[in-house]
Amino acid sequence: MNRLYKNIFIFTFVAPAFLVLIGVVFYPFIYNVVISFSNMNLRHIQDWQMVGPVQYVKVFTEPTEPNFYVIFLKTIIWTFVNVFFHVVLGVFLALLLNQKIKGKGIYRTLLILPWAIPQYIVALTWRGMFNYEYGSINIVLTRYLHLPAVEWLKNPTEAFLACILTNIWLGFPFMMVVALGALQSIPHELYEAADIDGASWYHKLKNITIPLIKPVMIPAITLGIVWTFNSLNIVWLVSNGGEPSDNTHILVSFVYKAAFNLYRYGYAAALSIVIFFILLIFSLSFMKKTKATEAAY
Amino acid sequence: MKKNIIHRVSPIVYFGSMLLLSIMVFLSCSRSVDINRVVIWHQMRVDERVILEAQLKKYMELHPGIHIEAIYKETEELRSGFIIAAIAGQGPDLVYGPSDQIGPFQVMNIIKPMESLFTKDWLDSFNPKGITWYKGHLYQIADKLGNHLTLVYNKKLLQKPPETDIELIETGKRLTVDSNGDGKFEQYGLVWNYTEPFFFIPFMTGFGGWVMDEEGNPTLDNPGVVDGLNFIKDLRDKYKIIPKEADYNIADALFKDGKAAMIINGDWSWAGYKKAGIEIGIAPLLKIIKTGLWCAPMVSPKGFSINVNVRKEKEKLVIDVLKFLLAPENQLETAKQLNTMPTWKALYDDPFIKNDEILMNSQIQIDRGKPMPVVPELRAIWDAMRPSYQAVLGGVKTPEQAAKDMQVLAKRKIAEMNE
Repeated sequence: MNRLYKNIFIFTFVAPAFLVLIGVVFYPFIYNVVISFSNMNLRHIQDWQMVGPVQYVKVFTEPTEPNFYVIFLKTIIWTFVNVFFHVVLGVFLALLLNQKIKGKGIYRTLLILPWAIPQYIVALTWRGMFNYEYGSINIVLTRYLHLPAVEWLKNPTEAFLACILTNIWLGFPFMMVVALGALQSIPHELYEAADIDGASWYHKLKNITIPLIKPVMIPAITLGIVWTFNSLNIVWLVSNGGEPSDNTHILVSFVYKAAFNLYRYGYAAALSIVIFFILLIFSLSFMKKTKATEAAY
Repeated sequence: MKKNIIHRVSPIVYFGSMLLLSIMVFLSCSRSVDINRVVIWHQMRVDERVILEAQLKKYMELHPGIHIEAIYKETEELRSGFIIAAIAGQGPDLVYGPSDQIGPFQVMNIIKPMESLFTKDWLDSFNPKGITWYKGHLYQIADKLGNHLTLVYNKKLLQKPPETDIELIETGKRLTVDSNGDGKFEQYGLVWNYTEPFFFIPFMTGFGGWVMDEEGNPTLDNPGVVDGLNFIKDLRDKYKIIPKEADYNIADALFKDGKAAMIINGDWSWAGYKKAGIEIGIAPLLKIIKTGLWCAPMVSPKGFSINVNVRKEKEKLVIDVLKFLLAPENQLETAKQLNTMPTWKALYDDPFIKNDEILMNSQIQIDRGKPMPVVPELRAIWDAMRPSYQAVLGGVKTPEQAAKDMQVLAKRKIAEMNE
């Protein structure tokens, strides 16, 4: 009890932030849980009632086209392909930028650029670039590489690939910045000692660089996975709301469509809770497995 | 001494009182209802917005102390945002948009019936197509009529627009040009956005189809849909007068760059084409020789509705603002600048409206068009049409299968919406 008295000033300062948290996190979350058990939709938006786990049953059994499992699989592919390339590209570029090279500042600025442009602009620009006849990607493919043009936005697989390519371009700067920060915090003596021992570039990477950037990269990767899993903008805008034929949806864009296009609030809330638990279970097990919260040194 | 006082208060009570204090601070920051402030949410494009802002400025100059705020939101964002805000008892006083938003807003009970707020004489001054009644009540008064598709053509490339499907194919072939012989067309006869089913409606109606019956049940599995889809496929694959792939932005850019002789687009786009330096002509959409029917686009008014949460004490001001924005002189000003069709009947005798070539042809198209249904089911129908329509253009489905699938999906989506 005495400790509580000692922390009285902490309470004072925490109270407003706590209130904001209640307002913007706890209350909407609990409200979402409540409506996920309700029949709230277009016809019952003011007079909704609790109907039990009906919406959850629908999430898993409704014959939507495509159904939950297909979209879930696509979401997993979307997330892992994106995060894989974000990390690989990000770390690779960070390693390059960590060398003593001329004009480092300019390269760094240029590489961070994708991050600085509003996502809406990025998505619509890439959508234009993927156009069959006038898009720059097909022009490069056909005119300079003499390859056949790809129908990027018309075929489901290519359209999904187009979304992934856009998001990879958009996402690697974050990982690069994080990795660069981590690299700069590695004591130089470790590399000097390794040099004395005659370690090769690969050995230094494997035994010094990767283990020492891991504590920073794992939380960043976890965040990256959660963000990418829940990244609505790029999929929605590049594929123009799931085109062609609702084949480029990931779970969040599907929720968005159910809630705001078809006014199925109860169903969308239930699907959101399912997404929440998928991410919660994943994050907890990933953090535990990778021992991300343990100290590096 | 100080320490003693703090010790006497339980930490929980202290924490609670701090929370309460914070709540009071937050609440005091919130905006109280200001009866001299009117908020309008709209989805007007830039050139429309400029005119609206100027008109609002004029109103505020005439009425010192009144503040009107016009906030732009993209159509979908406006719709979902307004639903959320109005259900929570908030939101703008006036909401502006096409008439198809009336259906869901009425079902959710978030807009006010307006028939008792205005005199019969004043309401009678409007073209009946411009005032939207739904389930026995008036829910929207429009300042613009149309929102309709027409055939827009580049006068530099084409002097006489085609009137029938046969003429379209002939003209299209002549105007689709591969000037450097690389197998790619540098100029197309016709373009439009063929990812959105809204742009398919004229073809569907030209072949005798329609989206729903009187009761709001979908009627998509009909020969009109199949023939309409076949016709578009032929334009692309057989006659090769339209690009392989085009969404709104691509079609728009091709026309603005002079790389397309004709475009099917709505009245909202005309001012932009003029600004881009294209000398445009407007022609009604084609007649399909096989059926003898004109391609009929959906026609809908665009106008204002009143939020159900507008309180009695503010109603008078909101009505006054609405009347000002709908006044004939303001509608005429908009029509002159944007070539949109006003809703105030007396304006149809104005020399500008009577003699302007664009407006004359626009009027013909409006008369031939079909009113856009305002029922919420239309949303499910769009959503059911889109995948199959795109699948046909992607070569994955036959038009017959697409029509069947559209119907099944529309029925299911309507059932889901209404469950």
